[in-house]
Amino acid sequence: MPENCVETSLLHREYANKDFFGRVKSTVTALHELDISVKYGELFGIIGPNGAGKTTTIKILSTLLLPTSGTARVLGMDVTRDLYRIRKNIGIVFGGERGLYNRVTGFQNLMYFSDLYGVPPSVSRKKVPELIEMVGLTGRENDKVEKYSRGMKQRLHIARALVHDPPLLFLDEPTIGLDPAGSRDIRQIINDLKKAGKSIILTTHYMFEADELCDRIAVISKGRLVALDMPSGLKKQVKDITLAEVHVYGDATPLIESLKSIENVSRVFSDMTGDRTIVRIQTPDGSDVLEQAKSAASRLNLKIIESSVKEPTLEDAYLRMVEE
Amino acid sequence: MSSGEVSRVQVVKASMILTARNFFADPQWVIPSIIAPFVFTLVSLFLFSHVNGPILLYAVLGGGMMGMWGTTVYGSGSSIGFDRWNGTLECTLSAPTPLMWIVLGRVIWNTLEGSINALFILAIGFLWFRVGIGIADPGLFAISTIITFLSLSAFGLLLANIVVLSRKGGFLTNGIEIPVYIATGTMFPIGLLPFFVQGFSFALGPTWGIDAIRKAAIAGYTGLPVSIYVDLLVTVLATVVYMALSAYFFTKVEKIAKRNGTLGDY
Repeated sequence: MPENCVETSLLHREYANKDFFGRVKSTVTALHELDISVKYGELFGIIGPNGAGKTTTIKILSTLLLPTSGTARVLGMDVTRDLYRIRKNIGIVFGGERGLYNRVTGFQNLMYFSDLYGVPPSVSRKKVPELIEMVGLTGRENDKVEKYSRGMKQRLHIARALVHDPPLLFLDEPTIGLDPAGSRDIRQIINDLKKAGKSIILTTHYMFEADELCDRIAVISKGRLVALDMPSGLKKQVKDITLAEVHVYGDATPLIESLKSIENVSRVFSDMTGDRTIVRIQTPDGSDVLEQAKSAASRLNLKIIESSVKEPTLEDAYLRMVEE
Repeated sequence: MSSGEVSRVQVVKASMILTARNFFADPQWVIPSIIAPFVFTLVSLFLFSHVNGPILLYAVLGGGMMGMWGTTVYGSGSSIGFDRWNGTLECTLSAPTPLMWIVLGRVIWNTLEGSINALFILAIGFLWFRVGIGIADPGLFAISTIITFLSLSAFGLLLANIVVLSRKGGFLTNGIEIPVYIATGTMFPIGLLPFFVQGFSFALGPTWGIDAIRKAAIAGYTGLPVSIYVDLLVTVLATVVYMALSAYFFTKVEKIAKRNGTLGDY
């Protein structure tokens, strides 16, 4: 058996913008000569900003979109030639609420897709209730999908992708728009699937999610692969920066402005949480800048609740990579 | 790794069942399926209410055919459009089954449901307007109806291709409904139509099927200047051609939609 379940070589995709008469007005490159390989049993992440080419990659690999040039092999098969053999062995989960038959029940959705994948009815009658239990929808399987919450729909999407027990799963932003509890449930399911031996390709916007789940991560920006490594490896790429963090009460706008003028500060960003503002300062001299931030806060009569110097996160690494 | 072929019968059956479930879950089905053909039939029956005899049966059969045809076109066009809008087209296409068999299940259900509409309209004609219930040759009538039913399904399958290609296809399939009513002679003999339209009429399988149904039902009905067996033969040939074209176009259209990246549009 080959080592890799997915291999792409110079994979390239352009979209043409056409006018009313079908004439090409302009072309947009969504994916630029992508070279990646995913090992069997690996949980492989693809991260990047909106329009980076993540979904285009997933669609090409799942045979739903043709590449303009280059090659892609999934489970040893060519995505432009071996459509049905590939489809029989992959499962796809698209994020969001669309993609299910809302007017029928969750159970009926799963039975329908089982039939489309050629699962014998005697098998699907046993398998579907097991999947419903696995994704935590027991007791709601006979409700129409239109009555489901977003998180329940997302769990049903995952069950749908598993009706034929495929060895390879494509999860395209499976936690998008979910509340924290719903996202945590989905992450738990993904972890369980990995433990069950599935190979998984996951796209996500959430860096902590990619950091927590993925064995390796490809960072794509403007259709190009800008980095490919383990999460720890990606974080090492920004080892030259640290993160000074200051929590203050109230509006921290004057503090942020004053911190931006400090030498060696590459970036300042903030989050409001309840009545406090968390100010994060990206700099190579974390301890030194933290002291300067404390002094500035004191001058501005802002009460500091807590302060610390932290190691860079995957998000810091990601932001630097996609902005370079 | 799994590599076996998916059973087409299983897919067609599953698709029929899902379409039926979706159909009954949406109360709007009453408008195109019952109310519209019912109103058309009422209008034509009132128009012909001063005459007696075969002309009324002609009108009632025409209304029944409109019920069948309307549902087939509406259902075929809207079923893929519904998938686009619902976001299920990509999930459906990601299954290891040629799309044609999935759509065939839907079209068969739509035509079946159209046949029920047709029976409903015939019942109204017979019970309310006292149209003579005597069918001249019940055996040939049944055969003609079944063959026409299959021909309508195949034609609906061909139309569904357009909607796979682009969301704009829905406009075309909706717009074709009334011209085909006229061209196939459901309500008016095609002899009344201009010569260039008649050419289009003869290319449509249902034109011949409807003629066969009327010849079997109405004693002495002349219609097209060929025997009922020729009508049925042409309908069968047209059905085979529609199926072959559908099989070819479904593969072609899916490839074009994948090349253009339009499968996810809604």
